[in-house]
Parts: sequence; structure tokens; C-alpha cells
Amino acid sequence: MGILGLSKLIADLAPQAIRESEMKHFFGRKVAIDASMCLYQFLIAVRSEGAQLATVNGDPTSHLMGMFYRTIRLLDNGIKPVYVFDGKPPDLKSGELAKRAERREEAEKALKAATDAGDDAGIEKFNRRLVRVTKEHAKEAKELLTLMGVPYVDAPCEAEAQCAALVKAGKVYATATEDMDALTFGSTKLLRYLTYSEARKMPVKEFSYDKLLEGLSINSREFIDLCILLGCDYCESIKGIGPKRAIELINNYRDIETILDNLDSSKYTVPENWNYKVARELFIEPEVANAESIDLKWVEPDEEGLVKFLCGDRQFSEERVRNGAKKLMKSKQAQTQVRLDSFFKTLPSTPNATNAAKRKAEEAKKSANNKKAKTSGGVGGRGRRPK
Amino acid sequence: MFEARLGQATILKKILDAIKDLLNEATFDCSDSGIQLQAMDNSHVSLVSLTLRSDGFDKFRCDRNLSMGMNLGSMAKILKCANNEDNVTMKAQDNADTVTIMFESANQEKVSDYEMKLMNLDQEHLGIPETDFSCVVRMPAMEFARICRDLAQFSESVVICCTKEGVKFSASGDVGTANIKLAQTGSVDKEEEAVIIEMQEPVTLTFACRYLNAFTKATPLSTQVQLSMCADVPLVVEYAIKDLGHIRYYLAPKIEDNET
Repeated sequence: MGILGLSKLIADLAPQAIRESEMKHFFGRKVAIDASMCLYQFLIAVRSEGAQLATVNGDPTSHLMGMFYRTIRLLDNGIKPVYVFDGKPPDLKSGELAKRAERREEAEKALKAATDAGDDAGIEKFNRRLVRVTKEHAKEAKELLTLMGVPYVDAPCEAEAQCAALVKAGKVYATATEDMDALTFGSTKLLRYLTYSEARKMPVKEFSYDKLLEGLSINSREFIDLCILLGCDYCESIKGIGPKRAIELINNYRDIETILDNLDSSKYTVPENWNYKVARELFIEPEVANAESIDLKWVEPDEEGLVKFLCGDRQFSEERVRNGAKKLMKSKQAQTQVRLDSFFKTLPSTPNATNAAKRKAEEAKKSANNKKAKTSGGVGGRGRRPK
Repeated sequence: MFEARLGQATILKKILDAIKDLLNEATFDCSDSGIQLQAMDNSHVSLVSLTLRSDGFDKFRCDRNLSMGMNLGSMAKILKCANNEDNVTMKAQDNADTVTIMFESANQEKVSDYEMKLMNLDQEHLGIPETDFSCVVRMPAMEFARICRDLAQFSESVVICCTKEGVKFSASGDVGTANIKLAQTGSVDKEEEAVIIEMQEPVTLTFACRYLNAFTKATPLSTQVQLSMCADVPLVVEYAIKDLGHIRYYLAPKIEDNET
């Protein structure tokens, strides 16, 4: 899932790209949410006494419960969500998907073993690992969203790529997902933990793409190569190259081709027929629906429809559903608070700050001259005393 | 070297009280013309702009332009340690990572100094265009604070409607509606109690009470407040700080959402 160790790398090397804030500060923003990821989370997490919530027939309803209340919470905070559903997985993902299938099998075996042994904790643990989001779940969720008056988008392929396209087209402010892939696809803003439950008191983490590139001092192409080196869903990575080494290599050689030319093949084995080029293409030009032509509309909820859909067989409490619908109505009526950013333009940088930066650079130069240090390759070698 | 001295710690206390509800941290930009502070609140709805002119200080020296990022909560804690009549001096070296705040009692017998760590804040400065406002209202600061407090009980937002007859503040909510009308003062005997309206054309705008109430924390600084309004432009609430400068708050309006 996602890019291995990317969030830690960003936190270490480009902390200015991450901002933590409370959910209520995002009022008025439209966000694209990776629906499949959400449904998966809900199916795992929304449980009562370890078992999923279910209809009278035993079909799970955890995902609907999660979707209903979490969406209400977002709208209550003035955030306008649009859910993006996965299409067919890209061919390249087959490797990753095979691995996941393998893990499922293992979990299944383990579950059996646990059941035989009567190990309750084990049963619960492996049960959760076996959760998967089916087409049926997605269909129900879409039906629910329509009744709630919340728009959704069917991505032709990967949902993250479609979210990123919506952000880039200015249709929404950010992508909300736990999957760091969205950044690799070029989503200018990524929100993590936005769909987490309130009880967890997790501040929302906002990643800015521009600041991230600036902080790592690489461009968007190099960033994609970096993500491939770190390990993405679409191809293997070189064994033995961790986050630290990966950013070092990118900084020295700027792309994977040059890295491969200069890599010590005795130390690292490059996977056979490594198709990093195709993975790269997939990140640069993913299969997405044209975001410009997507029209997002938030409309009034259908209270009776919601009651009919959720109560009855699905065993939701009517009172709660009606209350939820009221909240949805209320969020429709409120006036929207505008932000100052839409009136005043951000100045590039304050004269004070630039002066200070310049001054520091000059001083660094001076001290370097005084010490008669050998000129090293770049800015990096400050403060090192020549021996 | 930066050094600024004020005769009365109470002014600085009041200034801090006026901004610390909106901002957790902010950068004080010091130059030989004085001290400037500009920062938005977390949700980027309002902006605080503080100007303290160098000639308003008892003593002011700033050899090099200096930006000091401060945690305002910590700063307020330090200022709590001062008596209102104390002299207060802020000092910092060039390129320093701390600022020293010194209090001297009026009779010079007690001197306390506090050193506070500075922070490196990424600054987003906004360029604020000059605006010809359609309405400028000057009114007693206490009156404005009272109105904002009273109306906040009825609704989250207040509608300010300014015509040539006067200015009307209204709010409506589940409880009912509230309207407060202020007429222009006929004859100005006491300037600080007057309501003066300069109007080019009438304006009606809606604002969030929460922010207005945060602005009125500056009431102790000034007897009068000035509200400048223009359609589809942020409201400016200005409090003058006598002989020293001013504090201005900008607030983005609320609008009807037609789009969805």
C-alpha cells in the first residue's frame, strides 16, 4: 500500500511540508476521498463486540455505518467531501495483488488454526485480515451517498490518481487518504487522518506537494523516481536501498537510469526485467477521467429515502438516521465563510526574511573563506573544518 | 542590536491580550521605523496587523532588520510577571535566537529579566491592496464590544448594514432575532462617545461573531473603534494605540453559497 517510508522521509527531510491542524480549520474546503480505502477501514474498524454490524441476513453493514456518520461529521465541519471509487486495477499492480492474495491465504490458514485451537484473540485478528471490499459494498455505498446528496466519482483505474487529477484541476482542495501514492500522482495537497474517528483525537496532517519538492530539492519527475526506489505498488524495488540511500542516489544522479549506470552491482541486485519505466509512466500519465468535465454537486439529502435504505433490514435506528438527515440539512443552509487568501495575495517573501537569508549566506561564505576551506561541491559542506 | 523600551508594561500587556486569542505564534518584524506584526489565524479567516512606530517608544534602537518569531502564549506568561507601571525593555542581538524582556519598577528598585527562545516561523505575508471603502463607521469601542457580545447569543453570524441614517447590527437564530441600530451622533461634544458614519454607498455584509468577539479583546487599547466596509471585501476593524501605532483586524465575510 502506498509508498514505503515516504511519510517518515518527508517528516525527516522536509518537515515544512507537513502541517498539523484540527479538522474544523478545513471548513469550506472540498476534498476528494479515496472511497475504497475508507470502506476497507470501516469494515475493519466499525464493530460491536468484535463482530461486524450486519443485516438480518448477516451481510455486513459496517461500511454503511461508517460512511453515514463520517460523512455527516465532515459536512458538519463544513467540509464538502466527494468520494472516488477504484476502477479496475492497473496491469502492473498484478504483482502486488498476487502478494496480497498470498497474504490472505496465509491469514485464512491461520484463522483455521486459531479456530481449531479456540484462540479468540487470534480468530478476531485473522478475521480482520480477511476483510475485503467487494463490488457489492461499493454499490451500497454509492447508493447511500446519492441519498445523502454527496457526489461520487467512478475512477477508470486507481482512485488516488483520479483524486490527484481532481486536485490538479482545481475541482477540490485536497486528496484525503492514508495512501501516500496520491502525492506521487501529483496531488498538490494530501490530508491524512481526515476520516479517522473523532474519538482518536488525531490532528489532520496536511502535506503540501510544492513545499515537499522544495524541501527535498528535487523536481516532480525525480520525486516519482524516488517513490519507485522507495517501493510502490507497481514494481519491485532494489533490495538494500532504504529511504536514506534512495534520496542520496536521487540527489547525486537525478534519475533511475543514471543510478543504474553507477550502481555497484556487487552490492545491490537490480530485479530482473525491472519495469520501472512503465511504473514511472503510470505515475506521470495515469488513466483518469477528465477532471474538467466532472461536475460536483452537493444536494439536499433524501430523508425518507435514507430511512428506507438504512432502517428495516439493515437495522439502523430510525431516530438516529433522522437526526443525521437533519444535520445534513443544516449544513446545507449555513452560509459559507470565505478565507482571506481569496482576497489578499501571498507575497513571495518578506524583505526582512530575504535579507536575513542573504546575510546568513554571506556570513557562511565569509567564514568559509577565512578558514580557507577547499571549495566543496555545493552548499552542503558547511562548517566542516579542513584537516 | 535591537532594543525597545516602553514606559508602561500595561500597554504591551493589552496588546498581547488583543492578539493571543487569534494567534498562537507570530513574527515581530523590527526595523528602524518600528515593530510590525502580520499574521493570519489558523483557519485563514482573519488577519492581525499590528504597527508600533519607533517614535512612540521611550527608547528605540534597531541596527539591523530583525524578525523574531515568538510563541504568544509564552510571551503572555512573561508579561504577567510585570506590574502595570513597570518599565519594559525588549532586547535582542542580531541573529539571536532569544529575546530578553526586562521589567524595571518605577522606583528602579526591582529589576527582573526574562529570556525567551525565539522560533523559526514560516511567514506567509499577505499583500493588502488599498481599498476605497463604501462605509467607514467610527464608534465607541466599548459599545462595539457590547454589541458583538450580545448578538453572539442569538447566532453564529451577525449582519452589519450601513446606511446614511445609521448602522444596524442584526442576528437571527433559533431563539429569535436581535437588531441593534446606532444613529449618527448629531452634535459631537465628546469625541470618544460619538458615532460617526462616512458613507459613499450603503453596504450589507455578514460576519462570524466568533472573530468579531476575538477582535474586541483590543477594546482596552482604545476608546474608539473604526469599522471599514465595502461589498465583497474583508472588513477592517481598527483600534488606534495612542501615540504608538494601531492594531488592525481583517475579517473575510460570509457569503451565500449559490454553487451547490
